Amino acid sequence: MINTKNINSVTLTYDTVLEPGKKHSYKVIFNTDKICFVPLDEANTDYQAILTWIAEGGVVIDNGGNE
Amino acid sequence: MTKARNLANLLNADGQIDNADIAGGVNFKNIIINGDHSIFQRGDTATGVTASIYSAPDRWKTSVVSTAVFTISKSTDVPSGQGFASSCKWDCTTANASPSATTYMTHEQRIEGQNVQFLEYGTSSAKSLTASFWVKSNKTGAYTVALYQADGSRHINSSYTITTADTWEKKIITFPGDTSGTINNDNGEGLRLWFHLGAGSNWSSGTHATTWSSYAQGDVLVDNQVNLADSTANEWYVTGVQLEAGSVASDFEFLPVDCNLQRCQRYFTKLYGTLYGTNYTSTTSFTGGILPVTMRVNPTASYDAIRTTSGLNSYFTRTHAQYLMTHSQGYVTGLTANAEL
Repeated sequence: MINTKNINSVTLTYDTVLEPGKKHSYKVIFNTDKICFVPLDEANTDYQAILTWIAEGGVVIDNGGNE
Repeated sequence: MTKARNLANLLNADGQIDNADIAGGVNFKNIIINGDHSIFQRGDTATGVTASIYSAPDRWKTSVVSTAVFTISKSTDVPSGQGFASSCKWDCTTANASPSATTYMTHEQRIEGQNVQFLEYGTSSAKSLTASFWVKSNKTGAYTVALYQADGSRHINSSYTITTADTWEKKIITFPGDTSGTINNDNGEGLRLWFHLGAGSNWSSGTHATTWSSYAQGDVLVDNQVNLADSTANEWYVTGVQLEAGSVASDFEFLPVDCNLQRCQRYFTKLYGTLYGTNYTSTTSFTGGILPVTMRVNPTASYDAIRTTSGLNSYFTRTHAQYLMTHSQGYVTGLTANAEL
Protein backbone atom coordinates (compact mmCIF):
# COMPACT_ATOMS: atom_id res chain seq x y z
CA MET A 1 0.00 0.00 0.00
CA ILE A 2 1.37 3.37 -0.94
CA ASN A 3 2.22 6.00 1.65
CA THR A 4 0.62 9.18 0.33
CA LYS A 5 2.74 11.29 2.71
CA ASN A 6 5.71 10.57 0.46
CA ILE A 7 4.12 11.49 -2.88
CA ASN A 8 6.06 13.83 -5.11
CA SER A 9 3.67 13.83 -8.08
CA VAL A 10 0.73 11.95 -9.55
CA THR A 11 0.14 11.91 -13.31
CA LEU A 12 -2.86 10.47 -15.10
CA THR A 13 -1.65 8.10 -17.81
CA TYR A 14 -3.46 7.13 -20.99
CA ASP A 15 -3.47 3.85 -22.86
CA THR A 16 -1.32 3.81 -25.97
CA VAL A 17 -1.86 0.21 -27.04
CA LEU A 18 -5.25 -1.46 -26.75
CA GLU A 19 -7.53 1.55 -26.45
CA PRO A 20 -5.38 4.57 -27.31
CA GLY A 21 -6.46 7.69 -25.48
CA LYS A 22 -8.39 5.89 -22.75
CA LYS A 23 -7.60 6.90 -19.17
CA HIS A 24 -5.39 4.12 -17.84
CA SER A 25 -3.76 4.58 -14.43
CA TYR A 26 -2.14 6.99 -12.00
CA LYS A 27 1.64 7.16 -12.27
CA VAL A 28 2.85 7.99 -8.78
CA ILE A 29 6.38 9.31 -8.23
CA PHE A 30 7.53 9.34 -4.61
CA ASN A 31 10.07 11.57 -2.92
CA THR A 32 12.53 8.70 -3.23
CA ASP A 33 12.05 8.77 -7.05
CA LYS A 34 10.43 5.35 -6.80
CA ILE A 35 7.57 4.95 -9.28
CA CYS A 36 4.39 2.92 -9.10
CA PHE A 37 1.28 2.70 -11.25
CA VAL A 38 -2.11 2.61 -9.56
CA PRO A 39 -4.99 1.21 -11.64
CA LEU A 40 -8.22 3.16 -11.88
CA ASP A 41 -9.99 0.39 -9.99
CA GLU A 42 -12.26 1.35 -7.10
CA ALA A 43 -11.50 -1.92 -5.33
CA ASN A 44 -7.76 -1.18 -5.31
CA THR A 45 -6.91 0.33 -1.92
CA ASP A 46 -4.09 2.42 -3.39
CA TYR A 47 -6.61 3.97 -5.78
CA GLN A 48 -8.81 4.70 -2.77
CA ALA A 49 -5.80 6.33 -1.07
CA ILE A 50 -5.14 8.50 -4.14
CA LEU A 51 -8.78 9.64 -4.13
CA THR A 52 -8.38 10.63 -0.48
CA TRP A 53 -5.12 12.42 -1.33
CA ILE A 54 -6.95 14.35 -4.08
CA ALA A 55 -9.82 15.20 -1.72
CA GLU A 56 -7.26 16.62 0.72
CA GLY A 57 -5.82 18.93 -1.93
CA GLY A 58 -3.48 16.78 -3.98
CA VAL A 59 -3.37 17.74 -7.64
CA VAL A 60 -3.16 15.20 -10.46
CA ILE A 61 -1.18 16.20 -13.54
CA ASP A 62 -3.21 15.52 -16.68
CA ASN A 63 -1.45 16.17 -19.94
CA GLY A 64 -4.08 14.37 -21.96
CA GLY A 65 -1.58 11.66 -22.75
CA ASN A 66 1.02 14.04 -24.15
CA GLU A 67 3.98 13.42 -21.85
CA MET B 1 -24.43 -45.10 24.36
CA THR B 2 -26.40 -44.63 21.16
CA LYS B 3 -25.07 -43.17 17.93
CA ALA B 4 -27.42 -40.23 18.44
CA ARG B 5 -25.86 -39.56 21.84
CA ASN B 6 -22.36 -39.77 20.38
CA LEU B 7 -23.28 -37.21 17.75
CA ALA B 8 -24.97 -34.97 20.30
CA ASN B 9 -21.80 -34.93 22.39
CA LEU B 10 -19.94 -33.32 19.48
CA LEU B 11 -22.19 -30.28 19.51
CA ASN B 12 -21.39 -27.17 21.47
CA ALA B 13 -23.88 -24.85 23.14
CA ASP B 14 -24.59 -23.22 19.78
CA GLY B 15 -25.49 -26.56 18.23
CA GLN B 16 -22.31 -26.44 16.14
CA ILE B 17 -19.37 -28.81 15.94
CA ASP B 18 -16.30 -27.07 17.27
CA ASN B 19 -13.23 -27.14 15.08
CA ALA B 20 -11.37 -28.83 17.91
CA ASP B 21 -13.56 -31.88 17.42
CA ILE B 22 -12.67 -32.37 13.78
CA ALA B 23 -9.94 -34.96 13.86
CA GLY B 24 -6.72 -34.22 12.01
CA GLY B 25 -6.10 -32.78 8.59
CA VAL B 26 -6.16 -29.29 7.17
CA ASN B 27 -9.59 -27.78 6.77
CA PHE B 28 -8.58 -24.12 6.45
CA LYS B 29 -10.30 -23.40 9.72
CA ASN B 30 -8.00 -20.41 10.29
CA ILE B 31 -9.52 -17.30 8.75
CA ILE B 32 -6.19 -15.54 9.20
CA ILE B 33 -3.56 -15.86 6.47
CA ASN B 34 0.10 -16.09 7.50
CA GLY B 35 -0.87 -16.40 11.15
CA ASP B 36 2.50 -17.98 11.89
CA HIS B 37 4.25 -14.93 10.40
CA SER B 38 6.44 -17.11 8.21
CA ILE B 39 5.98 -15.28 4.86
CA PHE B 40 7.80 -11.96 4.40
CA GLN B 41 7.89 -11.28 0.64
CA ARG B 42 8.66 -7.58 1.16
CA GLY B 43 11.80 -8.43 3.12
CA ASP B 44 12.48 -9.73 6.60
CA THR B 45 13.06 -6.31 8.16
CA ALA B 46 11.40 -2.92 7.75
CA THR B 47 13.20 -0.10 9.54
CA GLY B 48 11.88 3.37 10.24
CA VAL B 49 8.21 2.42 10.14
CA THR B 50 6.22 5.60 10.74
CA ALA B 51 3.08 5.09 8.67
CA SER B 52 0.12 2.84 8.11
CA ILE B 53 1.61 0.39 5.64
CA TYR B 54 2.27 -3.23 4.82
CA SER B 55 5.83 -3.09 6.04
CA ALA B 56 7.21 -6.61 6.34
CA PRO B 57 5.02 -9.63 7.20
CA ASP B 58 2.62 -10.63 4.43
CA ARG B 59 -1.06 -9.84 5.02
CA TRP B 60 -0.35 -7.89 8.22
CA LYS B 61 -0.82 -4.14 8.04
CA THR B 62 1.41 -2.39 10.54
CA SER B 63 0.40 1.12 11.50
CA VAL B 64 2.60 3.56 13.37
CA VAL B 65 0.75 6.86 13.24
CA SER B 66 2.85 8.61 15.82
CA THR B 67 6.12 10.43 16.30
CA ALA B 68 7.43 7.07 17.47
CA VAL B 69 9.39 4.89 15.08
CA PHE B 70 9.54 1.11 14.96
CA THR B 71 11.51 -1.61 13.25
CA ILE B 72 9.28 -4.51 12.28
CA SER B 73 10.98 -7.77 11.45
CA LYS B 74 10.85 -11.52 11.16
CA SER B 75 12.22 -13.15 14.30
CA THR B 76 13.24 -16.67 15.22
CA ASP B 77 12.22 -16.01 18.82
CA VAL B 78 9.21 -18.33 19.17
CA PRO B 79 7.30 -20.12 21.93
CA SER B 80 9.11 -23.31 22.80
CA GLY B 81 7.65 -26.65 21.77
CA GLN B 82 4.76 -25.26 19.73
CA GLY B 83 6.11 -25.90 16.23
CA PHE B 84 6.53 -22.28 15.19
CA ALA B 85 9.65 -21.26 13.27
CA SER B 86 9.12 -17.51 13.22
CA SER B 87 7.35 -14.60 14.81
CA CYS B 88 6.92 -10.91 14.07
CA LYS B 89 8.87 -8.48 16.23
CA TRP B 90 7.96 -4.84 16.86
CA ASP B 91 11.01 -2.95 18.17
CA CYS B 92 10.65 0.68 19.27
CA THR B 93 13.58 2.72 17.95
CA THR B 94 12.25 6.22 18.66
CA ALA B 95 10.01 6.64 21.69
CA ASN B 96 6.89 8.73 22.18
CA ALA B 97 5.96 8.59 25.86
CA SER B 98 3.27 11.26 25.60
CA PRO B 99 1.18 10.37 22.57
CA SER B 100 -1.08 13.01 21.06
CA ALA B 101 -4.82 12.32 20.84
CA THR B 102 -4.74 10.96 17.27
CA THR B 103 -1.76 8.65 17.73
CA TYR B 104 -2.13 4.89 17.22
CA MET B 105 -0.11 1.76 16.64
CA THR B 106 -1.78 -1.40 15.35
CA HIS B 107 -0.98 -4.82 13.93
CA GLU B 108 -3.98 -5.87 11.88
CA GLN B 109 -5.24 -8.24 9.24
CA ARG B 110 -8.07 -7.34 6.87
CA ILE B 111 -10.08 -10.30 5.63
CA GLU B 112 -12.07 -10.48 2.39
CA GLY B 113 -15.82 -10.44 2.86
CA GLN B 114 -16.36 -13.43 0.59
CA ASN B 115 -14.13 -15.53 2.85
CA VAL B 116 -16.31 -15.02 5.91
CA GLN B 117 -19.82 -15.46 4.54
CA PHE B 118 -20.05 -18.75 6.43
CA LEU B 119 -20.10 -16.78 9.67
CA GLU B 120 -23.64 -15.66 8.75
CA TYR B 121 -23.20 -12.22 10.26
CA GLY B 122 -26.32 -10.13 10.20
CA THR B 123 -28.53 -13.14 10.95
CA SER B 124 -29.67 -14.89 14.09
CA SER B 125 -27.28 -17.71 13.17
CA ALA B 126 -24.17 -15.55 13.38
CA LYS B 127 -21.27 -17.69 14.57
CA SER B 128 -18.90 -16.94 17.41
CA LEU B 129 -15.25 -16.45 16.59
CA THR B 130 -12.31 -17.47 18.73
CA ALA B 131 -8.96 -15.77 18.40
CA SER B 132 -5.86 -17.48 19.76
CA PHE B 133 -2.30 -16.22 19.56
CA TRP B 134 1.09 -16.19 21.26
CA VAL B 135 2.57 -12.90 22.45
CA LYS B 136 5.68 -11.78 24.31
CA SER B 137 6.83 -8.36 25.48
CA ASN B 138 8.92 -6.65 28.09
CA LYS B 139 5.87 -4.41 28.62
CA THR B 140 3.44 -6.17 30.93
CA GLY B 141 -0.12 -4.96 31.24
CA ALA B 142 -3.35 -4.70 29.28
CA TYR B 143 -3.59 -4.72 25.50
CA THR B 144 -6.68 -4.34 23.31
CA VAL B 145 -7.61 -6.79 20.57
CA ALA B 146 -10.69 -6.15 18.46
CA LEU B 147 -12.80 -7.20 15.52
CA TYR B 148 -13.93 -4.53 13.09
CA GLN B 149 -16.63 -5.10 10.49
CA ALA B 150 -16.06 -2.61 7.69
CA ASP B 151 -19.29 -2.92 5.71
CA GLY B 152 -21.49 -2.00 8.63
CA SER B 153 -18.83 0.02 10.47
CA ARG B 154 -19.25 -2.06 13.61
CA HIS B 155 -16.81 -3.35 16.20
CA ILE B 156 -16.31 -5.45 19.27
CA ASN B 157 -13.33 -5.14 21.56
CA SER B 158 -11.64 -7.26 24.15
CA SER B 159 -8.31 -7.35 25.92
CA TYR B 160 -5.56 -9.59 27.14
CA THR B 161 -2.91 -9.11 29.77
CA ILE B 162 0.77 -9.87 29.44
CA THR B 163 1.52 -10.97 32.96
CA THR B 164 5.19 -11.91 32.81
CA ALA B 165 7.82 -9.84 31.04
CA ASP B 166 9.84 -11.40 28.23
CA THR B 167 7.90 -14.66 28.35
CA TRP B 168 5.74 -16.20 25.64
CA GLU B 169 2.09 -16.44 26.68
CA LYS B 170 -0.86 -17.92 24.78
CA LYS B 171 -4.01 -15.84 24.75
CA ILE B 172 -7.52 -16.97 23.80
CA ILE B 173 -10.45 -14.64 23.25
CA THR B 174 -13.94 -15.58 22.06
CA PHE B 175 -16.12 -12.99 20.36
CA PRO B 176 -19.87 -13.59 19.93
CA GLY B 177 -21.30 -13.47 16.41
CA ASP B 178 -22.72 -10.20 15.16
CA THR B 179 -26.42 -10.71 14.48
CA SER B 180 -26.89 -7.17 13.17
CA GLY B 181 -24.05 -6.28 10.83
CA THR B 182 -24.07 -7.95 7.43
CA ILE B 183 -20.76 -8.60 5.70
CA ASN B 184 -20.95 -8.01 1.94
CA ASN B 185 -20.16 -11.01 -0.26
CA ASP B 186 -17.40 -9.33 -2.23
CA ASN B 187 -13.63 -8.90 -2.46
CA GLY B 188 -13.56 -5.88 -0.17
CA GLU B 189 -12.71 -5.84 3.50
CA GLY B 190 -15.24 -7.88 5.44
CA LEU B 191 -13.62 -8.33 8.82
CA ARG B 192 -10.51 -7.05 10.58
CA LEU B 193 -8.55 -8.57 13.46
CA TRP B 194 -6.96 -5.65 15.18
CA PHE B 195 -4.15 -5.72 17.77
CA HIS B 196 -3.68 -2.36 19.46
CA LEU B 197 -0.25 -1.51 20.81
CA GLY B 198 -0.97 1.97 22.12
CA ALA B 199 -2.95 5.03 21.12
CA GLY B 200 -3.89 8.57 22.08
CA SER B 201 -6.92 9.77 23.95
CA ASN B 202 -9.18 9.78 20.86
CA TRP B 203 -9.19 5.99 21.18
CA SER B 204 -10.18 5.84 24.85
CA SER B 205 -12.46 8.83 25.37
CA GLY B 206 -15.56 6.61 25.61
CA THR B 207 -16.24 3.20 27.11
CA HIS B 208 -14.41 0.09 25.95
CA ALA B 209 -17.11 -1.62 23.82
CA THR B 210 -17.18 -5.34 24.56
CA THR B 211 -20.36 -6.12 22.63
CA TRP B 212 -21.01 -5.60 18.92
CA SER B 213 -21.98 -1.99 18.32
CA SER B 214 -21.61 0.82 15.81
CA TYR B 215 -17.98 1.78 15.52
CA ALA B 216 -16.87 4.60 17.76
CA GLN B 217 -13.16 5.32 17.93
CA GLY B 218 -13.39 6.43 21.55
CA ASP B 219 -14.81 3.06 22.58
CA VAL B 220 -11.92 0.92 21.38
CA LEU B 221 -9.19 0.81 24.02
CA VAL B 222 -9.26 -1.05 27.28
CA ASP B 223 -8.51 1.02 30.38
CA ASN B 224 -4.80 1.35 31.03
CA GLN B 225 -3.87 0.14 27.53
CA VAL B 226 -0.09 -0.29 27.32
CA ASN B 227 1.81 2.30 25.27
CA LEU B 228 4.42 0.22 23.46
CA ALA B 229 6.11 3.40 22.27
CA ASP B 230 7.03 4.81 25.68
CA SER B 231 10.62 3.53 25.61
CA THR B 232 13.14 2.39 23.03
CA ALA B 233 13.64 -0.68 25.22
CA ASN B 234 10.19 -1.93 24.22
CA GLU B 235 9.52 -4.95 22.05
CA TRP B 236 6.37 -6.91 21.19
CA TYR B 237 6.36 -10.31 19.51
CA VAL B 238 3.43 -12.21 18.04
CA THR B 239 2.93 -15.53 16.26
CA GLY B 240 0.43 -18.35 15.93
CA VAL B 241 -2.53 -16.09 15.27
CA GLN B 242 -5.65 -18.10 14.55
CA LEU B 243 -9.22 -16.89 14.15
CA GLU B 244 -11.77 -19.67 13.84
CA ALA B 245 -15.49 -20.20 14.07
CA GLY B 246 -16.81 -21.53 17.33
CA SER B 247 -16.03 -20.97 20.97
CA VAL B 248 -13.02 -23.26 21.30
CA ALA B 249 -9.41 -22.53 20.35
CA SER B 250 -8.07 -25.56 18.53
CA ASP B 251 -4.44 -26.25 17.76
CA PHE B 252 -2.83 -23.87 15.27
CA GLU B 253 -3.35 -25.01 11.70
CA PHE B 254 0.06 -25.20 10.05
CA LEU B 255 0.03 -25.02 6.26
CA PRO B 256 2.79 -26.11 3.88
CA VAL B 257 4.93 -23.13 2.91
CA ASP B 258 3.86 -23.27 -0.74
CA CYS B 259 0.20 -23.11 0.26
CA ASN B 260 0.85 -20.32 2.75
CA LEU B 261 2.81 -18.33 0.15
CA GLN B 262 0.15 -18.71 -2.51
CA ARG B 263 -2.54 -17.49 -0.15
CA CYS B 264 -0.42 -14.39 0.48
CA GLN B 265 0.22 -13.88 -3.23
CA ARG B 266 -3.44 -13.14 -3.86
CA TYR B 267 -2.67 -9.82 -2.13
CA PHE B 268 1.00 -9.17 -2.85
CA THR B 269 3.44 -10.75 -5.28
CA LYS B 270 7.09 -10.14 -5.94
CA LEU B 271 8.73 -11.67 -8.99
CA TYR B 272 12.38 -12.08 -8.08
CA GLY B 273 15.17 -11.52 -10.59
CA THR B 274 15.05 -9.78 -13.96
CA LEU B 275 12.44 -10.20 -16.66
CA TYR B 276 13.55 -9.36 -20.19
CA GLY B 277 11.24 -7.91 -22.76
CA THR B 278 10.11 -8.42 -26.30
CA ASN B 279 9.73 -5.78 -28.97
CA TYR B 280 6.37 -4.17 -29.47
CA THR B 281 7.66 -1.74 -32.08
CA SER B 282 11.21 -1.09 -33.24
CA THR B 283 11.65 1.41 -30.41
CA THR B 284 9.42 0.01 -27.64
CA SER B 285 9.13 -3.24 -25.73
CA PHE B 286 6.85 -5.05 -23.33
CA THR B 287 8.38 -6.69 -20.27
CA GLY B 288 6.61 -8.73 -17.64
CA GLY B 289 5.21 -12.08 -16.67
CA ILE B 290 2.33 -14.21 -15.51
CA LEU B 291 1.40 -13.73 -11.86
CA PRO B 292 1.52 -16.92 -9.79
CA VAL B 293 -1.95 -16.43 -8.32
CA THR B 294 -5.01 -14.53 -9.51
CA MET B 295 -4.94 -11.40 -7.42
CA ARG B 296 -7.80 -9.90 -5.42
CA VAL B 297 -8.12 -6.85 -7.71
CA ASN B 298 -6.12 -5.20 -10.48
CA PRO B 299 -2.88 -4.59 -8.60
CA THR B 300 -0.68 -1.56 -8.11
CA ALA B 301 2.49 -2.00 -10.16
CA SER B 302 6.00 -1.32 -8.93
CA TYR B 303 9.57 -2.56 -9.34
CA ASP B 304 13.09 -2.37 -7.95
CA ALA B 305 14.81 -1.41 -11.21
CA ILE B 306 13.85 -0.92 -14.84
CA ARG B 307 15.63 -0.34 -18.15
CA THR B 308 14.15 3.12 -18.65
CA THR B 309 11.28 5.23 -17.40
CA SER B 310 10.93 6.78 -20.85
CA GLY B 311 7.44 6.08 -22.15
CA LEU B 312 6.86 3.87 -19.15
CA ASN B 313 3.35 2.55 -18.55
CA SER B 314 1.95 -0.51 -16.82
CA TYR B 315 -0.44 -3.13 -18.16
CA PHE B 316 -1.30 -5.18 -15.09
CA THR B 317 -4.40 -7.30 -14.57
CA ARG B 318 -5.36 -9.75 -11.84
CA THR B 319 -3.44 -12.47 -13.72
CA HIS B 320 -0.49 -10.88 -15.48
CA ALA B 321 1.93 -7.98 -15.24
CA GLN B 322 3.53 -6.08 -18.10
CA TYR B 323 5.41 -2.83 -18.53
CA LEU B 324 5.66 -0.92 -21.79
CA MET B 325 8.71 1.29 -22.21
CA THR B 326 10.50 3.21 -24.92
CA HIS B 327 13.46 0.92 -25.45
CA SER B 328 13.88 -1.94 -27.84
CA GLN B 329 15.46 -4.15 -25.17
CA GLY B 330 13.48 -3.52 -22.02
CA TYR B 331 13.84 -5.29 -18.70
CA VAL B 332 12.44 -5.00 -15.21
CA THR B 333 13.87 -6.31 -11.93
CA GLY B 334 11.94 -7.09 -8.77
CA LEU B 335 8.49 -6.56 -10.25
CA THR B 336 5.81 -6.29 -7.59
CA ALA B 337 2.03 -6.35 -7.73
CA ASN B 338 0.04 -5.13 -4.73
CA ALA B 339 -3.64 -5.86 -4.19
CA GLU B 340 -3.77 -5.62 -0.39
CA LEU B 341 -6.89 -4.69 1.48
